[in-house]
Amino acid sequence: MSANRFFATGNFFTDYRQEQRIFRTHLDRGLFVVFLACLFAWPLFFDASNRTMLVINNILIAVVAVYGLNLVTGFAGLISIGHAAFVGVGAYTVAGLARAIGASHPLIVHWWPLMILAAGGMGAVFGAFVGLPAMRLKHLYLAIATLSFQMIFTWTIQFMPTFNQGQMIPVGRVAWIGGTVGRKDHYFFWYYVILVVAVVCGLAVRNLLRSRYGRCLVAVRDNDRAADAMGMHPGLTKVYAFTLAGFFAGVAGALHTYMFRGAGFESFTLHHSITYLAMAIVGGLGTLPGSLLGPAAIYTLELEMERLSEWSGAFLPDSLNLATALRPLGFGLVIVLFLMFEPRGMANWWRICRSYVKLWPFRY
Amino acid sequence: MTYFLQLVISGIVVGSIYALSALGFVLVYKSSRVLNIAHGQIIAGGAFIVYALTVFAGLPIYISFVASMVITFFLAMSVERIFLRRLIGEPIISVIMVTIGLMSILNGVIYLTPFGSLNYSFPEFLPTTPISLGGVSISWTQMVGVVITALLIGAFSWFFKRSTIGISMRAVSDDQFAAMSVGISVPRVFGLAWAMAGLSAAAAGTIIGNITGLNFETLGAFGITVFPVVILGGLDSIIGAVVAGIIMGLIQQFAAGYLDGNWGLNGTADVLPYIILLVILLFKPHGLFGTHEIERV
Repeated sequence: MSANRFFATGNFFTDYRQEQRIFRTHLDRGLFVVFLACLFAWPLFFDASNRTMLVINNILIAVVAVYGLNLVTGFAGLISIGHAAFVGVGAYTVAGLARAIGASHPLIVHWWPLMILAAGGMGAVFGAFVGLPAMRLKHLYLAIATLSFQMIFTWTIQFMPTFNQGQMIPVGRVAWIGGTVGRKDHYFFWYYVILVVAVVCGLAVRNLLRSRYGRCLVAVRDNDRAADAMGMHPGLTKVYAFTLAGFFAGVAGALHTYMFRGAGFESFTLHHSITYLAMAIVGGLGTLPGSLLGPAAIYTLELEMERLSEWSGAFLPDSLNLATALRPLGFGLVIVLFLMFEPRGMANWWRICRSYVKLWPFRY
Repeated sequence: MTYFLQLVISGIVVGSIYALSALGFVLVYKSSRVLNIAHGQIIAGGAFIVYALTVFAGLPIYISFVASMVITFFLAMSVERIFLRRLIGEPIISVIMVTIGLMSILNGVIYLTPFGSLNYSFPEFLPTTPISLGGVSISWTQMVGVVITALLIGAFSWFFKRSTIGISMRAVSDDQFAAMSVGISVPRVFGLAWAMAGLSAAAAGTIIGNITGLNFETLGAFGITVFPVVILGGLDSIIGAVVAGIIMGLIQQFAAGYLDGNWGLNGTADVLPYIILLVILLFKPHGLFGTHEIERV
């Protein structure tokens, strides 16, 4: 074993504490700190347009949501085809309350951090409820349970007058030190809020996975009978995975509502659930960096396809509906191709690069 | 009373369509344990092929109906060959996700055709005056649809019970290793199961299209609506699909007939099946006729 961990040819852990460290190497920690500093600093130096900020905020919200999906699908191995509905539960916790007590009620505009947490709690409650069949059933049936929750959610929002029948419910501008956050600073302000939430949630997930409560998720995924024999309760663990997923989704939903200053049902349909799944798969199921890479990749893909359909719309006949066709076609192809050729996702590419450097000049 | 009977009749019509759509789904699940989420898109594709052959190519509808069944037979077989064959033995989670991706791809492909956004309806080829019996009426298209559905389901049951291929399919669904050891080619059986599912999907799509008109959203939604039906009937039971299809059709019609408009409710027919689905999953997850797997978590 080399003294320099970067040149080591494998993991030579000699005690559990080494294995449970958040960062394996100093290089990892250094890269993370630099990356984080860049994320926090860049808006101060570059004057980004609102459009760019909107896209970046969207990506970060998706990152928070995908943490949840990754916990339930990647780490616990249970497919959720209704993740957008859990995000919607969080969004509508805020929006529904805003409709009930007024869009600019102090509870909404002054106590918004509390509202974000409450939305997460609400998401967790719904997650636990949908995960209940997990006490008896295996993944296949669970996928169907989440799917039906998605359908029930969409229906509830669309037909209930309480939720304005799916129309946009406005939410007021929030207050911060020095008054209300105005139109000019809106995306800038929410960029920092969402970034802080995303980083805190990411560290929380990483820490969770070091503890026994995170490891039991992985154990149940890998072999639930063995996990049972070692004293874990597979059914309860699965319900707990769904609860966690619901929590992260709820937080993401509340952020979504605040950032768009309202909630409408069209952001939480089955199509979005599939998009979240695509993000998790492309990023890499069961990896934390994957939750960051996936949303970024999918949003980039979406933007590029929008541009492509705009560009081709100039010389293609109107009957050829390229704009609506490209989105599902692209997502489907990305999901299928990644599953067939790179099931470990983009997070694996970093591993491949690193082992290439480590082993050079020998082939892997 | 007439209202009630009318609801029963339309419930049976809708239910038989559900049964036929669920049939293809059950076929795939039964033999290969794959949850085919893209089934609705295959249904829609089959219906659009019939329309294209009838209207654009000018064939008689009977011929294009059979031709579409043949085309989707090979289409579904190639889908299995290209996408799912290489995933045999992979964890079930990635197989399900591949069908989700497949659903997305087929959506995109259909959006590329003119069928993606516009509404069409089949040319009339049956008498338009409905049959009326004591105040209860049923249109000829519905009547013929139910009859064809019954015939097809009968044919499929016979095929499974008696024919060599059907028996080998049942053998594979029972025990893959045992089936392999007596010389059944398991991959070929999977391909055939998908092909049969495609065939029944085309039939279902054509019948739905004749009754309700061709709209991609409606037809594609059948792939999702089929879930409550198959869960109620038991995921791997053909008779379950038929019974549950008709029960679901009746429930939907009664909900639309009696619940909507009262107590401020609307569109209950769309949500009730899913609520029933959740309840069944909690209390009787193997459905009415499904195999009870002893394995518990």
